[in-house]
Amino acid sequence: MAEVILSKVRKSYGKVLAVKDFSLDIADQEFVVLVGPSGCGKSTTLRMIAGLEEITSGTISIGNRVVNDLQPKDRDIAMVFQNYALYQHMTVYDNLAFGLRNRGTPESEIAEAIKHAAKVLSIEALLDRRPRQLSGGQQQRVALGRCIVRNPKVFLFDEPLSNLDAQLRAQMRLELKELRQRVPTTSIFVTHDQVEAMTLGDRIVVMKDGLVQQVGTPLELYRRPINQFVASFIGSPSMNFFEMRVSGEGDKITLKGDGLSLSLPPARFPGLARNGSDKVTVGVRPQHLRLGRAENDDQVGFSGTLMVTEQLGDEQLLAIRIGGNDVRVAGVDPELALATGSTIEVATQMDNLHIFDGTSGSALR
Amino acid sequence: MSVAEAITAPRPRSFLEALAPGGKRAFFVLVIIAVCLLFAFPVLWLVLTSLRPGYAVYYVHRGTDFTIENFFEVLSQEIVVKAIFNSFVISTLATVLSLGITVTSGYMLSRFRGPIPSTWFGLIYVFRCVPYVSWVLPLYFVTQSVGIFDTYWGLLLPHVAVHICFFSWIMKGFFDGIDPSMEYAAMIDGCSRWGAFWRVALPAAVPGMTALAILCWLYTWNEFLFALILTAQNTPILTVVMAQFVHELGMEWHLMSATAVIALGPALIVTIFGQKYVIRGLKV
Repeated sequence: MAEVILSKVRKSYGKVLAVKDFSLDIADQEFVVLVGPSGCGKSTTLRMIAGLEEITSGTISIGNRVVNDLQPKDRDIAMVFQNYALYQHMTVYDNLAFGLRNRGTPESEIAEAIKHAAKVLSIEALLDRRPRQLSGGQQQRVALGRCIVRNPKVFLFDEPLSNLDAQLRAQMRLELKELRQRVPTTSIFVTHDQVEAMTLGDRIVVMKDGLVQQVGTPLELYRRPINQFVASFIGSPSMNFFEMRVSGEGDKITLKGDGLSLSLPPARFPGLARNGSDKVTVGVRPQHLRLGRAENDDQVGFSGTLMVTEQLGDEQLLAIRIGGNDVRVAGVDPELALATGSTIEVATQMDNLHIFDGTSGSALR
Repeated sequence: MSVAEAITAPRPRSFLEALAPGGKRAFFVLVIIAVCLLFAFPVLWLVLTSLRPGYAVYYVHRGTDFTIENFFEVLSQEIVVKAIFNSFVISTLATVLSLGITVTSGYMLSRFRGPIPSTWFGLIYVFRCVPYVSWVLPLYFVTQSVGIFDTYWGLLLPHVAVHICFFSWIMKGFFDGIDPSMEYAAMIDGCSRWGAFWRVALPAAVPGMTALAILCWLYTWNEFLFALILTAQNTPILTVVMAQFVHELGMEWHLMSATAVIALGPALIVTIFGQKYVIRGLKV
């Protein structure tokens, strides 16, 4: 069993607070992804778990053992780095054997472990080569192999796919998922790429400015973002937002923004009805918009000027200007010929609207 | 000149453009040869002088006598042999000692932050700003008072001190170029901080250390000023002994040149074998 428990973990560099009271329980064999923009504290958190960074306050436990004061070598973890961090002066075999030799494992057992790991990762033919003779993908596999042979309690991944090109990154993502099925070890994966987070994580932790914004499954984060930041960070293309003013007219709540107006039933949006603020932000994902008018009371629609179309082959992405807002529409028929500058009508189900407080950015549910 | 003439008139071409394609190449070859000769000429002249008898040194037209007697003559002098030995020992010891300190110092400057590295960095910077020559007199008094004047230690320690100041920066540059993630990986793989330095960072820095070792060795081997001021009869050093062929009875250029050619030997060997590393070291 290797649960990882972080309790009110804090890291400060002088007066700068890099991580603020990070608390999270990671279950045995769970794959958790820390995601957020640069400087949000995700890598610092990972390095604190690894022991490469001292924690200012709080507690980190791995497998029911508090590891705050333990050296990295004594935490029984393995880590894959962004730039692979392979020992350049050693062969692939020696890279894989390094950790086991340091722990006094007999050579016969080392050979067996390396043979197994090499087979799992298809790097049997590379064992005699030096890291500089390998491609990026091969180096990444060797870095993974270095973790596997150790059979640690926890795998830590620090943006391991960032240095790969888009095609290889997609391939390695699949390989990581397969690997996880074969080697089900507790894993913490840091990335700034929301696609990696969504595809790999059992749970995702979204961070910003050293604070945890939301923890949840990929679908929870996608469907029920807790605030505007999470809504904008998760999903590609990013969610469209409209700043609007609230006014009540009869049994409807009316939202008026730059170039559009919405009339919503309070029963469907209790959070909005409860909220006293007169300023809100309405969000809708590009995938949830379709071309055409609202066909019934369950739908809302608006129109704007088509600015740009992006042909992706299986779909078109549109950029529409509605008042002062640039709105993206995804999933448009690629065969549809649309003239830029023309007026386009789009609609969506009311359920697809996300309402956020205009000041705090919190979701109003 | 009419407008039409002005338009059709060929633009004035530069000298290089005016040359035919082959001529341009020949011009560059000639320039390169000229530059090479400019640098090689003093060395060629030195070798030539070392092979000439004493009476023929000053005038090229005094016959075509060549001899290797000069080499036998300088090597028969005990002080020259002793100086070659001393220079070799001091250069080698200074290199080993400097390397030991410079590598750890460079590593600290590259990897650690805090008051100790900052102070150390500041000290090195200050020492580097002081003109080299101004160290000599204080060092003379210090070595006199400590009782190591005209000994190995009296020359070795100042050299090591200078090397540390000059080469810690170079070594820092080398370590800056080595990804620290490798050391973190080693620490997770079971090494202590020191172990990660010793087993991962140091092997990765071998090219840098080689460059540094060569530069240190050549620097000490060729150094004249410290050797002149900080040594006397007990510890003759090659560069000083070489200069002593200029004395009150005249200048024995042929013997001085022969000694210089002998001194060139080890330096040449070191440079030829370590050229690749030296260039890399100088680039940092």
